[in-house]
Amino acid sequence: MATPTAPSRVRRQLPTSPWLFAAPGLLITGAFVLHPFVSTVVNSFTDRRTLIPGHFVGLANFRELLHDDMFWTGLRNSTLYIVGVVPALVILPLLLALLVQKNIPGITFFRSAFYTPVVASIVVVGLIWVWLLDERGLVNSLLETVGIGRVGFLSDQWLLLLSAMAVTVWKGLGYYMIIYLAALANVPRELHEAAAVDGAGPVRRFLDVTVPAVRPTMVLVAALSSVAAFKVFSEVYLMAGPSGGPAGEDTTLVMLVQRTGTGLTGRVGYASALSVVVFVVTVALMLLVLRADRKEES
Amino acid sequence: MRISRRTFAAAAVALVLPLSACGSGGDDGGSTDASGKVEGNITFQTWNLRANFKPYFEGLIADFEKKYPGTRVKWIDQPAEGYADKISADAAGGTLPDVVNVSPDLVAPLAEAGLALDLDKAAGKYRSEYLDGAWASHRIPGLSGTYAFPWYLNTGPLFYNKSLFTKAGLDPSTPPKTYDELFTDALQMAKKTDGKVATLANVPTIEDFGRYGVQLMNKEGTGFAFNDAKGVGLLTKYKELYDAKALDPQALTATPESSGKKFLTEAVAMNPGSALDLGNFKKQAPGLYKNIGITDQITSTGHVNMYVMGVMVNSRTKHTPAAVAFAHFVTDAQNQMSFAEKVAIFPSTAGSLDDPYFTKEDGTDETRVRIAAAKSLKNAVNYTPVLFSEQMKTALRNEVAKALQGKESPKAALDNAVKACDQLLKQQG
Repeated sequence: MATPTAPSRVRRQLPTSPWLFAAPGLLITGAFVLHPFVSTVVNSFTDRRTLIPGHFVGLANFRELLHDDMFWTGLRNSTLYIVGVVPALVILPLLLALLVQKNIPGITFFRSAFYTPVVASIVVVGLIWVWLLDERGLVNSLLETVGIGRVGFLSDQWLLLLSAMAVTVWKGLGYYMIIYLAALANVPRELHEAAAVDGAGPVRRFLDVTVPAVRPTMVLVAALSSVAAFKVFSEVYLMAGPSGGPAGEDTTLVMLVQRTGTGLTGRVGYASALSVVVFVVTVALMLLVLRADRKEES
Repeated sequence: MRISRRTFAAAAVALVLPLSACGSGGDDGGSTDASGKVEGNITFQTWNLRANFKPYFEGLIADFEKKYPGTRVKWIDQPAEGYADKISADAAGGTLPDVVNVSPDLVAPLAEAGLALDLDKAAGKYRSEYLDGAWASHRIPGLSGTYAFPWYLNTGPLFYNKSLFTKAGLDPSTPPKTYDELFTDALQMAKKTDGKVATLANVPTIEDFGRYGVQLMNKEGTGFAFNDAKGVGLLTKYKELYDAKALDPQALTATPESSGKKFLTEAVAMNPGSALDLGNFKKQAPGLYKNIGITDQITSTGHVNMYVMGVMVNSRTKHTPAAVAFAHFVTDAQNQMSFAEKVAIFPSTAGSLDDPYFTKEDGTDETRVRIAAAKSLKNAVNYTPVLFSEQMKTALRNEVAKALQGKESPKAALDNAVKACDQLLKQQG
């Protein structure tokens, strides 16, 4: 039988224990999330360079970026990326999930096939698409064969951006499809049956039963994909090259951060100011999507 | 025990605050005096040399350790791509190796940050062993001193596809030598192949402007000047090539790797490279290898561009005498000569280029190319301005692209490029 003093000892130790359990996580977060974040914000108010500590310059970096043409190009391209990629990544994976949701023989193969691009390395994927879309690549050879002629997918500013968007959508389909599959599994079967009894066809059932049931998931996908789209780097970097396409016209904001802030003569202060802008826009995007959802619900 | 909020905050600050020192370098500098005993463990970093020259460097290090008992050299090699970023990360993190393989444009920011040892002070006695021009190539405008031992020199050959030349009605035995000849041949190539074969895969770089005879910087070295009439003339000609598809349509986004592939697939007829490329052609494109022509860089000044490699000593090394001795050992006449016999590079040490190895014909193509290159090296110029940073290269490239696309006139594009480069130069301090 326990002595009367035992519970009080346990109670006394309780306040310390949670902190000890949380300590590893807190340490990692502090070192690899909090500290870099605070450093970036502090650096954005300095003229720090890669090898030179720099001085406090107030808002000079932020004023400079307002007059930097490349900043506006980056902001335009990152915004266009959201406009081009997010609707596709909200709708197409849902349709794909509906296709592979049914348990028919061999469906596992298709589920795996659609998910494969997600696990493939972005560098490998990027290089394959560059080969496909090259002036002498497979796609152009096919277009020439059917009489359309060669298209400058990798040399035209807008086609390059569209090609990069296509790769992002192609690579992201499987990931969001899995999220939708989980959501679809929770849609009550009775609702579909009731709608069918009331005479609703497949399209009507999709719009009036499926879509409302997975709407929270659609909002989540919209939020996640818009943040990822705004921060796009790899696809555009691999397809447009380090210079960001012809005359740098396909540069995105994150590419600009990388180009400005790295290397031996990198302008760390200015790149930090750009990063702060990316952060603020990203948070604003999330809030906007969530707010739109709340409005819709009410 | 109960942890108060204040205690927790103090602990968090104590843990996180020291990390803020990361990247700021710190000033735990070593000695600039290289006269002490040569001993201790040092690290030596090369630039993409392990794959082809492992036995040479292992032998070199063993010889040094034998000559100076009590020394130990750890050799690390970094890939060509991202080399500047690797040095940058090491320099910012305080982990720069003791002895580093650099080029003049890489050593400039390191010297400005006080991370490169001034060899005029620490190793001035060795100066007479090197060619004057080579020793001067690691001097930085605005700073006094020399910040790396000159190592090997190269001019880099220009490869061309003889078969494509013949198909276009050009004589493969007389490839273009000057820019005017290049423009004429390139336009003919494009015309005869209906724009299917381009002659060049890259937009003009700062070195092209130099070899065309454009003055790159003002006399004081305080600002750029490549937007003069000659510079505009060069860009106007390139625009003509681009419109005629004599310059590859993907040139605006090309990288050295992608233009190398274009040459391999015979989509372009000429491409600059290095002696190592010949091996790649043999392995990856035997058909092309049979038709390979090798010529000098295109130049209208009579001077080809010289690429200079150097060996820098980290000013924060704990073993200055050993690091300086090793950097000198790697670059001395004997070791440079023995390295030159393994690969088509040229020594920067005085008198080495007069060695029969670089002057006496033996009837082979290899020797003929080597002798021709050594001869052109004697009056070669390092056209790349030491202070021309990566950001400046991007600024020039973007403006050149705008001119080629017709979005800006060549004059306006070069004016903008000069303005941007001057601004970056000012920011570099």
